[in-house]
Amino acid sequence: MNSPHLSLPRSRFPLPGEFVFATAQYESGDWDSAPLVPANLIDSLARYTSLPVAPTGAIVALASDDLFRFPLVFLTGHLPVRFTDVERTNLRRFADRGGMLFVDDHNHDIDGAFHKTAVEELTRAVGPLSQLPNTHPIYSAFFKFPDGPPNTSHELNGWGDNLVHSHLLAAMRGNRIAVLYSNKDYSSEWGYHPDNKRFLAIDNTKFGVNIIVYALTR
Amino acid sequence: MLSRAERVRRTGEQALRLIAFAAIAALLWRAIRPPIATGVDVAGGDLRRALARWTLSATPAMRVVFDAAPDPGTRDWLRALARAGGSVRWSASRPISAAAVVAEPAAEPNGVTRVRLASANGEAVSLADGAGAIDTLPRGGARELELGTVAGAVRAAGATFTATSYARESVVLRPVLVLGAAGWESKFTIAALEERGWRVASRVRVAPNIDVTQGPLGSIDTARYAAVVVLDSTVAASSSEIARYARAGGGVILGGSAPRGGALTGIAPGRVGPRVAGVAGAVASGAPRTGLGGYPVSSPGADAVVLESRDGVAMIAARRLDAGRVMQVGYDETWRWRMAGGDESAAAHRAWWSRLVAAVAYAPLVPRESGLTPIDEAPLASLVDALGPSAPIDGRPTAPTDGARITRMLFILTVASLLGEWTSRRLRGAR
Repeated sequence: MNSPHLSLPRSRFPLPGEFVFATAQYESGDWDSAPLVPANLIDSLARYTSLPVAPTGAIVALASDDLFRFPLVFLTGHLPVRFTDVERTNLRRFADRGGMLFVDDHNHDIDGAFHKTAVEELTRAVGPLSQLPNTHPIYSAFFKFPDGPPNTSHELNGWGDNLVHSHLLAAMRGNRIAVLYSNKDYSSEWGYHPDNKRFLAIDNTKFGVNIIVYALTR
Repeated sequence: MLSRAERVRRTGEQALRLIAFAAIAALLWRAIRPPIATGVDVAGGDLRRALARWTLSATPAMRVVFDAAPDPGTRDWLRALARAGGSVRWSASRPISAAAVVAEPAAEPNGVTRVRLASANGEAVSLADGAGAIDTLPRGGARELELGTVAGAVRAAGATFTATSYARESVVLRPVLVLGAAGWESKFTIAALEERGWRVASRVRVAPNIDVTQGPLGSIDTARYAAVVVLDSTVAASSSEIARYARAGGGVILGGSAPRGGALTGIAPGRVGPRVAGVAGAVASGAPRTGLGGYPVSSPGADAVVLESRDGVAMIAARRLDAGRVMQVGYDETWRWRMAGGDESAAAHRAWWSRLVAAVAYAPLVPRESGLTPIDEAPLASLVDALGPSAPIDGRPTAPTDGARITRMLFILTVASLLGEWTSRRLRGAR
């Protein structure tokens, strides 16, 4: 997919002190496969915290210098991922400077194309991914998840790869997460209109709040 | 009638008597004469041997021409001779450069040693430690260096001096407490300090009455924290405690709008001015902080020192508050510098935050055993302190003389001539 817009209009730059949920746009694959996730997480963040959060998210091209305006970026997709050289270089600089990329496998299929290619590309750009211990501070940054990453309905229903993934993967910079990688398909789990949260017995986006709070505090 | 031989003999005896009287007179004169300076040209002589001679003979007046600042041992020896009642005058065959070097522990983690060097006269200076050369100043001047490791003493050497210094103390650095609201500024401030080696405790507000914490948290006092960094005005509840901490000797950094919070207003170096925006794109330039927005320090107090200004507006100011120090940093989004700056921006951001904290930190000094040679941080100043200012000496100093040897020879001459005269008289039967 070609990106017609590689830089943001100034009106979309984050205001001082404001958190803007940013979704990564990349040349290959379907970067915009989970359009409802940003709004849902923004809603949760506003519900549970007092953080100044922008009411709408932003889309930022991995190949753009605007990437460095958003220290937390969400990346998802179903299709094979191939970063361009510029995207790869930008991603490496982004991680080295303290940015955090949250990648979710929206496909989560057996031997999935997204998983294989994304892990390969992330390894080339940032470094190898390894299992994140379920005692990591990200699981207690705001809500408590003593058993590690919460399972998704897609995992429990046996869809996709028919696995319940017990751990997330991560690439670290020092003791900080530079890339958080999920096979759990949170993109599907959180991909609904925020108003529909009222129909859920337990808000399943709470772990999304933890990811954002972790990124903002550690 | 005396024979010719007898006359010669008696004339000889008179001559010996005269010689003895003359030697006695010379000895008497040497004992009561006014002091005559003895001196040495260190370029051509051996000052150490001269010092030993002067010490043994209690030489009353000495003069020395140096071609370079003497080492501390020589200087102290001369000072001791001067204090013992002698008079020591000195001058230099060429101007000795006024230079100084000092090494001291920086209040930063990882054992950083801060070395400051200053040299006048445009003389080339090389800076080295036990492991080799560190830097060279081709025409002197001043320089400040931060060295991660220093092998032994730091030595600054020019043509006319060698100055040495070493850090005689180490600092006790306690953790830094970072307070503020959750956001990129708090995240990257904590990250910068941790990556620079500081132990960081933090309390970051996420929701009303909900803080994300890390590190050792407790009451805010100098026994627990080296510095407190307050990033915004969300910590009003702790402001009185922070003000007390500063007065007790702690270091406080008030970032952005933090001085608006309660008691912090009273301890800030200035007031919080209206927010100014950064220059677009400047974070990636050679002056990255011009690209940062923030709250200028308006109306700095009479005791405040402005440390950084932008377009005539103070952005960083500091003041002493009783035993402590308070710094007001107007910038409130320095994280943009780290993320969007040039290739070295992350390291520069780390170093900048670490220096700010080090500038205010409460860091008690502990003497350390070194076993190193005595320091000589400012050779010319120490020389003037020891012997007074240089006094012009007309002409070249005299060659090294040995008063004791002359005295000894005069005494021997006296005894020999008297003995010879007495023997001659007794052999011829006279009394």
